[in-house]
Amino acid sequence: MTSVAFTDIVAHPLLPAEHDRDTAGFFAAARRGELVLRFCTACDQVLHLPRQACFACGGNESEWRPVPGRGHLYAWTVVTHQVHPAFAVPYTVVVVDVDGQPDGTRLVGRLAGEPVLTAGQPMRVRFDRAEDGTVVPNWEPGD
Amino acid sequence: MTGYSHRDRCAITGIGATEFSKDSGRSELTLATEAARAALADAGLTVADVDGVVSCDHDLVSYSGIAESLGIPDLTYWGQTGPGGSGPCAMVGQAVAAILSGQATTVLVYRALNGRSGRRFGQGTPDPAARVGGQGGYEEFFAPYGLVTPGQFFALLAQRHMATYGTRHEALAHIAVACREAANRNPAAQMHDRVLTLEECAIARPISLPLRLFDFCLETDGACAVIVTAAERAADSPHPAVLVRAVTQSTGPRVQPGVMYPMLQRPDVTVTPSATAARTLFSRAGLGPSDVDVAQFYDCFTITVLLQLEDFGFCAKGEGGPFAESGALRRGGSLPSNTAGGNMSEGYVHGMNHVLEGVRQLRGTSTSQVEGAEVSLVTSAPPPGTSALLLVKG
Repeated sequence: MTSVAFTDIVAHPLLPAEHDRDTAGFFAAARRGELVLRFCTACDQVLHLPRQACFACGGNESEWRPVPGRGHLYAWTVVTHQVHPAFAVPYTVVVVDVDGQPDGTRLVGRLAGEPVLTAGQPMRVRFDRAEDGTVVPNWEPGD
Repeated sequence: MTGYSHRDRCAITGIGATEFSKDSGRSELTLATEAARAALADAGLTVADVDGVVSCDHDLVSYSGIAESLGIPDLTYWGQTGPGGSGPCAMVGQAVAAILSGQATTVLVYRALNGRSGRRFGQGTPDPAARVGGQGGYEEFFAPYGLVTPGQFFALLAQRHMATYGTRHEALAHIAVACREAANRNPAAQMHDRVLTLEECAIARPISLPLRLFDFCLETDGACAVIVTAAERAADSPHPAVLVRAVTQSTGPRVQPGVMYPMLQRPDVTVTPSATAARTLFSRAGLGPSDVDVAQFYDCFTITVLLQLEDFGFCAKGEGGPFAESGALRRGGSLPSNTAGGNMSEGYVHGMNHVLEGVRQLRGTSTSQVEGAEVSLVTSAPPPGTSALLLVKG
């Protein structure tokens, strides 16, 4: 990332666990304003959802590497029925294909309301920062 | 195909169920016990005959709990499958494995839940006060974004299928109505007295678009149980023999961890593990999709059925919409399905009720009987893995 801009939010409804040994690096990087994915050190296979061992080459060493915060919209749903008290409806859950990665390398985001969306449209990452400093990478329509 | 086959070597000799309700007023253990006793009576067996039990890891009723409640003298085998919806056919498969390996002779398979008055899956799981995720479930990549219920997950699959293949919501409505029409003929179904039209489906309250109210299954209190024995012992049963022609579980490639949301990382979310399950199942059975006379598809949501129609080979990938809209699933259609009403309209016993109805169709006792049915397909949900069962007349 060339520049980091955080979007400060008053309270994030559900904060992610940041202590998991396989996934903590993702959220640690987010606190720095970086979007990272985990890759096999030996064969460069992306390992997402993050884990250490590589299914492709059998390697057991992996590392976090920054990736451009760009993607394309894979699927979305407009949630209109209030289920979880932390999330006011309507809101839209977006699933984004991360650019430059194999099919299936996807991250999820949430947009307020019911924005007009088009399958395959460009998306860009946004770093939502909660009051306690936890940062959650989120996605919004972008160029 | 290995040299060792389970084809036609075990039978489902007893089936039992409680009533399906919104509030059973009793514990899951009581429900499981009632369904188990009913299944044993149906099989012409007693508690003393039972030496094996199989359940799923979602069930609150443990093997020791049911053994104690029923008064089983000695369990020599107990086992568990994976989570709820993917479990029932796999549970029968595990019973078959126990019997053919000599570890048990009479296996009770059960599912009991207070799905409405107790823990409601549709309410999501995260505690608002707690951090979400960790421990290998990967919820931290989904729950912070408000992706917290199965319905929201399946809505994403439906949206993708619609965007990719032009599938219409009307196709999903046809699935809901086929289930409801069967329930209207089934006095035991929760929705027996409630008619549902395509128009009502189209204008129903949106829940998580593109899914609307009637794309969702019920939340039910109830239990179902079956008894599995070796095929030769089916002759002692008071009912026509129903054989397990073939059974399988399947993850398919790149199954993804966790229970549900990580499946969004599969290369194509419109293809489910049912595709690989179907290949194995039909190969083990020596049968194909065209041999199936009647089907019970796991139907947590309408889209779940549509994806399975394609993955089991009843139509091509992307053609599930037109296939459903043709009326194929309704009585008199080319593939009568969910003939007791399914999870959508009979009751949500996590698909264990589908196994019971698959048996009834071969006994000739369904309230939506398919005349001359000889091959009966039962499926248990994708994700994370899936399982499926082909039953035939003995």
